[in-house]
Amino acid sequence: MLSKNDKKLKLLWLQGLTCNGNTHSFLNLASLSILLSKFEILHFPAMQAMHTFEVISELKLSCDVLIFEGTYDPLMKRNDVFVKDILQHYAKEAKYIIAAGSCASFGGMFKASAPERNSGILFNEKNKSGPLIEYKEKIINLSGCPIHPEWMGFTLSMIVNNQKILLDELHRPLELYSSLAHHGCSRNEYFEWKVDAKGFGLKEGCLFYEQGCRAPMTHSSCNKILWNEVSSKTRIGTPCFGCTEPDFPRSALFVTKTNMSIPQDVPLGIPKRSYLTMAGIAKTFHIKRLEGKLIDYKTTS
Amino acid sequence: MARVTKEERRDGIISVALKLFSEKGFYITTIPDIAQKVGMSVGNFYNYFTSKDILAKELVLYISDYIGSQIREINERDISTEEKVYEIVSMYFTMAQEKPEMIEYFLRVYLSNREVFGEGCEGMICVSAFVTEMMIFFDDGVASGDLHDQDFFSAFGLFMGYLGGMVFLFGEKILPEPLESYKESISLNIYNALKKR
Amino acid sequence: MITKQLLEQIEGEASVYFDIKDEKVAFATVSFPHFRGMESILEGKNALDSLVITPRVCGICGHAHLMASVRALEDAYKNGGYEVKLTQKSQKIREFTLLMEMIQNHFKWLYMVIMPELSKLTNINLEKRPLKGAFAASVAAKAIALFGGQWPHSSYMVPGGVTADPTHIELLQAQNYLQELILFFEKESLGFSLEEFLSFESCKEFSGFNSDIVSLEAALMDAQMHQKGFAHDRFFVMGAHGFSKVAKVKSTRTFSVESRYITTQAAYAPQAQSFAKNALYKDLYYETGPLARLMAKGIPFVKNMHRRYKDSAYSRVMARVYEIASMLSYSQDLLKDIEITQDSVIPLVDMKKISAEGVGVVEAPRGPLVHRVKIEEGIIKKYEIITPTQFNIGSSSLEKPTPVQMAMQGLSKEDALFIFRTFDVCSVCTTH
Repeated sequence: MLSKNDKKLKLLWLQGLTCNGNTHSFLNLASLSILLSKFEILHFPAMQAMHTFEVISELKLSCDVLIFEGTYDPLMKRNDVFVKDILQHYAKEAKYIIAAGSCASFGGMFKASAPERNSGILFNEKNKSGPLIEYKEKIINLSGCPIHPEWMGFTLSMIVNNQKILLDELHRPLELYSSLAHHGCSRNEYFEWKVDAKGFGLKEGCLFYEQGCRAPMTHSSCNKILWNEVSSKTRIGTPCFGCTEPDFPRSALFVTKTNMSIPQDVPLGIPKRSYLTMAGIAKTFHIKRLEGKLIDYKTTS
Repeated sequence: MARVTKEERRDGIISVALKLFSEKGFYITTIPDIAQKVGMSVGNFYNYFTSKDILAKELVLYISDYIGSQIREINERDISTEEKVYEIVSMYFTMAQEKPEMIEYFLRVYLSNREVFGEGCEGMICVSAFVTEMMIFFDDGVASGDLHDQDFFSAFGLFMGYLGGMVFLFGEKILPEPLESYKESISLNIYNALKKR
Repeated sequence: MITKQLLEQIEGEASVYFDIKDEKVAFATVSFPHFRGMESILEGKNALDSLVITPRVCGICGHAHLMASVRALEDAYKNGGYEVKLTQKSQKIREFTLLMEMIQNHFKWLYMVIMPELSKLTNINLEKRPLKGAFAASVAAKAIALFGGQWPHSSYMVPGGVTADPTHIELLQAQNYLQELILFFEKESLGFSLEEFLSFESCKEFSGFNSDIVSLEAALMDAQMHQKGFAHDRFFVMGAHGFSKVAKVKSTRTFSVESRYITTQAAYAPQAQSFAKNALYKDLYYETGPLARLMAKGIPFVKNMHRRYKDSAYSRVMARVYEIASMLSYSQDLLKDIEITQDSVIPLVDMKKISAEGVGVVEAPRGPLVHRVKIEEGIIKKYEIITPTQFNIGSSSLEKPTPVQMAMQGLSKEDALFIFRTFDVCSVCTTH
């Protein structure tokens, strides 16, 4: 634990090719000012901090915690300095490097801007071949489009407390990414009994069979640590798009890819035969309670 | 002499029951009939199957598992979708000739006496082993680009309805040629109907 | 001599190149160096994918892009021969979440950009805690998440309505968050009640009060911002909503407008490559955003301010402050009448049946956001995005300056940099 006499860790938030979504998501963090007060912020895109970007790009400073948001494009410049040079300079002495968002983790949405050269800082989709591969021991990927502010809050707090963060094979913190987006969805019972949602805009029904929900195949805590402390996409009827995974963004969204009505992808780790057997059996039953509307506003008086 | 295991005993009962149902009919055959043919007391019989209804359902599961495992073996082979169709048809027709009591039970008892199977065999529960394998076959076929993507039941009905119909005709001794001589044309018809356009 | 000034806190990066003569800005050009090719990325994709891709144009106004996308798709349905009906409920939910995103944006801009920047030009004591703005924004984001699932980046609007099917629980929670936001605004920002503020006819009525906004107004005056930052005094509103009036405003007269007259051209940035474009309406530059919207509606507070201070930097800033109040009040009414029993989505045929063009226009925080799409059998053939920053922060030549270029002319560099920010720049949008 840091005492008042210990020096604060120096934090630098750099950006590659980004929409700034992770920055804005992070600004929603409930305990933001308390968390930030534990660091010396060298630079942060949304607020004035210790230094201007001009000073940062002179490459004379160093930081302890380097956060990189956005896709890595080796040809990109900021303030006429190559981002790759800025990144390499600060990565060298940083004790922790955090990829904020799926773009920095795997390439994400803007890998498509220049697919032959864009990537994440450690991973290029699923391949460990990014520019910071020599620093892989100190890289943490917080994938997501955007990240949930609590995920960054958790990571930075663990760092401040000098606690080791266990990571999965994609360098994502296990405590955040070992569960699936599916865990905690309020429509779980419909998933269990294979009651499909009949289109969009309804509380009832599971979005997995027809509406393309990727939650059973996506690692995240979206239905455990609710978004904005309030809700999640699947709870309000929008399918999960699998944004924490290396293949985000996928194509043909909002629709489940099926082969002869059989979902092409089944929940992670479940053998297809097992899944189809269970699904086939569950589909057989017609549970009246689950097939009607939860609340019939029109006839209930 | 090795002792017969409980499982072998059970399989023996199943085998006899199927043959008797085939020869005499489902409703006429009684538990004592089966027990006697197997060579066990009725009381002992009830240790294996607690009622005729339970036996009826277990038979469906048994047949479904059997056909399912045959199809699974075909699914896992490294052959083309077209060849798999041929193999499945071939397997089904071979079963119809060598173990007619199995297919007959399925067509003439299970499908035709729904009142017996109403509870505990709703929908496709009892045939799930075999239906799942057909799902895997269709899924692989579409994913590999060989089969046209369509509704599962449209494809399933075409495949199974066709086979069931042929076996029914065979059972009624209407087919002029031996069943296996229809394998080629039927496989071709099925593949042509299901393949990618 | 041309001096370059790198700008930060503008959702990305931009540089302003000043031509200074006698310590005054003779002219300035702007360049935006980054490009992601969103319009190309969209080509060849299924039409519904645009609902996930376009919000990623921008992290602070993603839901405005979502709404422009869905409107463009619905327009394509109409042009493809299918009637599109939206229930009042889904329209109100869309409008409510859009407004909350706007309010979120304005709070951040006020506390995290404008107050710190204005502090450099005046001795008047301004609020020095930028996270106040972030806090208010987070409350607005909660209200959005009740219907949208999350903020930023959700895709809860689909052709025919919204995916959410709320109960009275969500409506009441939204009302509570809105109330919390209003109380925050009244207590922390205004120093007087929302109702009072909305009844003011001019800033003179601020006298005697003490608050972040009152200090802001005094500081703007102190820095002479009511006499600086004039642009063409022409305004433009294109997004049709309950809270907006679609029109162009010249002097104080309003005229009707049609989105097909919006065109773009490459930005003029001789000092450095710029991926931005300039947006014009019938070949002229117009200012867009809060001041434009309030002028189009003829709000007394703004009209009076405009009468005295025209389209100065002062008017621009105070208009945005007023717009927060106006939107908070409007949102309260919006939530009151949502009829839960209406359908959230009135279904349409599969997108595969659509081969047509469509246009979707929305008022984003900074002004009109236009999405134009061409679809063939459900696949996007072409997608064009025109953003409000392209209207305000275009870069053209001396003969025909854009709003921001006009506004910066004749001022000191320090003043000009502040004036630049009064337009609320979003560089990720302007280049996409």
